[in-house]
Amino acid sequence: MTVVLRVHKLRKAFGGIVVADDVNIEIAKGEILGLIGPNGAGKTSLFNLVSGVLKPDTGHIYLNGVRIDGLPLYRRARSGIARTWQNMMLFTTMTVMENLLIAPRSYPGESIFKVTLARDRVRRAEREARLRATQILDRVGLAHAADAMVTDLPFGHQKLIGLSRALMNDGELLLLDEPMAGVEGAAYETMQRVVRQEADAGRAVCVVEHNVSFIKDLCTRAVFMSNGRILQAGTVDELLASKALTDLYFGV
Amino acid sequence: MEYILTIVVLIAIFVILSSSYNLVIGYGGLATVAHPIFYALGAYTSALLGIHFGLPAAICVLAGALVAVVASILLALSALRVAGDYLLIASLGFQLGLLQVIKNFEFTGGPGGISAIPNTITGPWRTPAYLLICGGIAALTVWLIARIVHGPYGRAITAMRDEELAFSALGRNAMTIKVVVFAIGCGIAGIAGGLYAFYFQYVSPDQFEVLHSAAMLTMVVLGGMGTTMGPVVGAVVLIAIPQAITFLNLPPAVMAPMQGIIFTTLVMLFLFLRPAGLVGPLSRDRMAGRTALEKSSGGVAE
Ligand SMILES: Nc1ncnc2c1ncn2[C@@H]1O[C@H](COP(=O)(O)OP(=O)(O)OP(=O)(O)O)[C@@H](O)[C@H]1O
Ligand SMILES: [Mg+2]
Repeated sequence: MTVVLRVHKLRKAFGGIVVADDVNIEIAKGEILGLIGPNGAGKTSLFNLVSGVLKPDTGHIYLNGVRIDGLPLYRRARSGIARTWQNMMLFTTMTVMENLLIAPRSYPGESIFKVTLARDRVRRAEREARLRATQILDRVGLAHAADAMVTDLPFGHQKLIGLSRALMNDGELLLLDEPMAGVEGAAYETMQRVVRQEADAGRAVCVVEHNVSFIKDLCTRAVFMSNGRILQAGTVDELLASKALTDLYFGV
Repeated sequence: MEYILTIVVLIAIFVILSSSYNLVIGYGGLATVAHPIFYALGAYTSALLGIHFGLPAAICVLAGALVAVVASILLALSALRVAGDYLLIASLGFQLGLLQVIKNFEFTGGPGGISAIPNTITGPWRTPAYLLICGGIAALTVWLIARIVHGPYGRAITAMRDEELAFSALGRNAMTIKVVVFAIGCGIAGIAGGLYAFYFQYVSPDQFEVLHSAAMLTMVVLGGMGTTMGPVVGAVVLIAIPQAITFLNLPPAVMAPMQGIIFTTLVMLFLFLRPAGLVGPLSRDRMAGRTALEKSSGGVAE
């Protein structure tokens, strides 16, 4: 079992609110870890800590055995963390294809020297990126929408574009923040299929989701979080069997 | 005739200024009012190098651009590190402060400025030659900016402006892009300054007052912010029309207020009739400009 992500004794507080309290997590290559818990539990904050949006107060984060908690956001992405966002954060003035073309981790067309001096290399990279983006769009069934403005797509499709953009980024660790919220029908099936395929292909995946059946279908292992603490880890069924947790979750 | 050609040279210089300002503020979404001072850095550096060292004009102009680039990088690094909105304040401070320095130093000629900048081209062809040079550089500027903003680099700039956090989380250094865009824009303003100094052979601090960034902004907005041709149209219209009025040969008492009234009316009219600028139909380019405007004016938060 190759551990891709290891979070060790992570702590983060905003004034009095502790969003991460001695958090320890490991995610292996090919695994889909579910992260569940009530609103305000600190799930998104944990993603922000791991991906580098937030800096932890104490504790360490390792990606493939290398400590990354000192790196800024963009360097962590380059070292192999791809993520989606609860509120999607698509590039709203751009087309679907353009949203994906922004995502490769390094891209010669975004160096001012190469873009003015090494036009051939830029053109080649652009062709390759388009090809890859088309393949990804094909997988999520949205190849026909490549040139549409992202904001013109239905909500479920926008969520799929958020996922596609993360796939285009090609991190070994994939963090999905509520991929199913507001998604139903065919988009739901697609999301489920693609996430499973990615894990099967060797990515380490962590899914935050309120849709318990989605977690149940996809994850062998899940952790339950509340008030910044991981209260229990185990199979989804084990977590749901615990009355204390379901009470917390459903706010009884 | 000479007079008209001089106006055209001035238009070319302002095309360079408004286009580069548009790159920074319209495409880059970087709110700055310091464009005149980078123009000044180019002008003063060229003038001083020309006078004291007798260097060839081209070298002086390039040195002026280099000084503007270095200064802009220092300003951007220090301001953007704090926060995005801080650039506006920092640029204002930089603009006002540095101009004060220029006004008070002996070697920059104080409030009177610098005259007797060496004449590099003599004879009857002087103005046409400058027209060719300035026009050529203006065209080159517009072409270069178009090349930067259309294509992968422009896509990155747009994405950064749209959603900086998501952009960074894809492995992109937003800071680098901002500093690069800012430095290129300010460097080009420096070139415009050098051209101005060598053509008019005279520079004075009041040409670089902070208010001139309002004039440049008007050119950008009137023509179409975030479009490559907008600032060109804006510069032509806003310099040519007031000059054309002087040809009516009205008495000065009528003339001065007339110019102001017509200028203001024009601006108001266009802002109401064509808020997105004069250039082209409602294109995607245009939309980019509009979002830049919305963001820089602080409106429409999510
Ligand atoms: N930048 C911040 N500054 C201050 N407080 C914050 C910040 N980010 C999050 N919080 C607080 O931290 C707590 C945890 O928020 P978080 O978004 O991580 O919860 P969550 O588990 O993702 O909830 P949800 O299921 O509603 O998305 C909340 O009380 C939130 O208000
Ligand atoms: Mg959340």
